[in-house]
Amino acid sequence: MFPKVAIVGIGYTPFRPITPDVSFREMVFEAASKAYEDAGVHPQEDIDSFVTCQDDFEHGRSIWNMQTPDNLGAVLKPIHTNCGDGILGLIDAYMQIKSGLRSIVAVETHSKASNVINRNHLIAHATDPIYNKPLNINPYFIAGMEMNRYLLETGTTKEQCALVVSKNKTNALFNPLAAYGEKITPKEVLDSEEMFSPLKRLDMSPMADGGIVMVLASEEKAKALTDKPIWIRGLGWCSEAPSLETREWGEAIYAKLAGEMAYRIAGIKHPRKQIDFAEVDDTFSYKEPQHMEALKLCRRGEAGSMIEEGATQREGEFPTNVSGGSLGVGFLVEATGPQRVLEVVLQLRGEAGGRQLPDVKVGLAQSWRGIPYASGAVMILSKE
Amino acid sequence: MPVEKVTQVSQTKPWYGALSSKYGEALLKTPEPGLYGQYTYGIAGERFFREIKDNAKITGAKCQKCNLIYVPPRIYCERCFEGLEEWCEIENKGEIHTYTIGWVDLDGSRLEEPVILALVKFDGVYGGIVHKVEEISADNVKIGMKVSAVFKEKREGSILDIKYFKPI
Ligand SMILES: [Zn+2]
Repeated sequence: MFPKVAIVGIGYTPFRPITPDVSFREMVFEAASKAYEDAGVHPQEDIDSFVTCQDDFEHGRSIWNMQTPDNLGAVLKPIHTNCGDGILGLIDAYMQIKSGLRSIVAVETHSKASNVINRNHLIAHATDPIYNKPLNINPYFIAGMEMNRYLLETGTTKEQCALVVSKNKTNALFNPLAAYGEKITPKEVLDSEEMFSPLKRLDMSPMADGGIVMVLASEEKAKALTDKPIWIRGLGWCSEAPSLETREWGEAIYAKLAGEMAYRIAGIKHPRKQIDFAEVDDTFSYKEPQHMEALKLCRRGEAGSMIEEGATQREGEFPTNVSGGSLGVGFLVEATGPQRVLEVVLQLRGEAGGRQLPDVKVGLAQSWRGIPYASGAVMILSKE
Repeated sequence: MPVEKVTQVSQTKPWYGALSSKYGEALLKTPEPGLYGQYTYGIAGERFFREIKDNAKITGAKCQKCNLIYVPPRIYCERCFEGLEEWCEIENKGEIHTYTIGWVDLDGSRLEEPVILALVKFDGVYGGIVHKVEEISADNVKIGMKVSAVFKEKREGSILDIKYFKPI
């Protein structure tokens, strides 16, 4: 029998636009210490294995994922370094436990994005060096092109996307961890500067810093460690072709396939009915409806009206991005996916404070790797 | 009014007298020239850019199994993973699959004139070319619009040998 896997410990620093008071090591040390305290484990004595997820240069240094053993308490211990989104790190830990190889695994991600002066150059460096990069253009044009095609194919409107920004930033006001909570009207979003039309400046999530560490354990260990384990019920991941020329532009196929995989594993046939709330990627405003549709939380082209009708509001029928999402919390680079998982865990534990959703049992977290890629992951968690 | 927050440490005044690493700052601003190498075009890239340089023509590669023509061409099919050996010439007549109007440059500064960027797809072709669209105002550009590549007179084997795409 393969053991069930639970999240038994969470540790995090508040997400902030800048963190000049601490180095990234000190930030991770804080998140890790809190996670180990929460799980009641000691990294050197109890944790069998570690996973760390960071991309190159995102925080101002190369081969960054080799920088965490010391601040994670993982020196001289087994550690996987993953150059990708943090949900993939959680999936890695899940597999180590599920296979019976390990009993307790810790996963680390963080953002120190404020170190980087011009992120555009960094992303441009990730575009194809012979077909795309010579055009010498700001790489966020990719989001503008994607938004344009998505709006055309589905009939979703810029006004509906602006409602997403307004909702998520308002939600963030109730999340003390969020960096960009504010009362903002859809009109203010629509009136903000044109960036990559139809994408406006306030359609784009601003960057934030922060660290997240989670401790995962097998069923046996989980029951011994905590009375509030949050079980990982389903997980999926998928990447489309990396080239801008052949990937899909109107539909998030990566999210659709990752979602289907997660639903299959979790035994979910009717996502909207069997899941109580979701934290989906909203790096750009249009990504929220696009991802909701890909995840079959509504039919294609219906997310916009679902948002308009208030169904995705905190008090709505299917609360989406109650944490504030990336638009309200801030874009946390590889910690963006884990921030969504963190919110699901807090909600399921009943520890979400002023934004606590009543009677929630099953939640979904989804991540997107961000431009220029079409890649992402999904995780479904439950209380029982 | 939306609240503006500082998002880069470099934009702040020194943090209560904290030391700042000038070396680190410089490194992040401009990666040292020594960091760069030369990216190889490869077999398919060589074919594509040589045809552009010598004949101002767009080349594709065909997968017989999937009945797909790749632009830019490749030596393998990303769907069935077969090797591709059949090259074909693509007619210089495409369609805007999607576009955006860019108002800021790579450094984040606002442009005096916005730039139109598009993914141009060709009839019966899987893939396309990402490039600028000119000879049309930003207000008039549309998805589905027919465009063709305008080549430079003097070409050197680069995507910039295409000056831009223009409406036809
Ligand atoms: Zn094929």
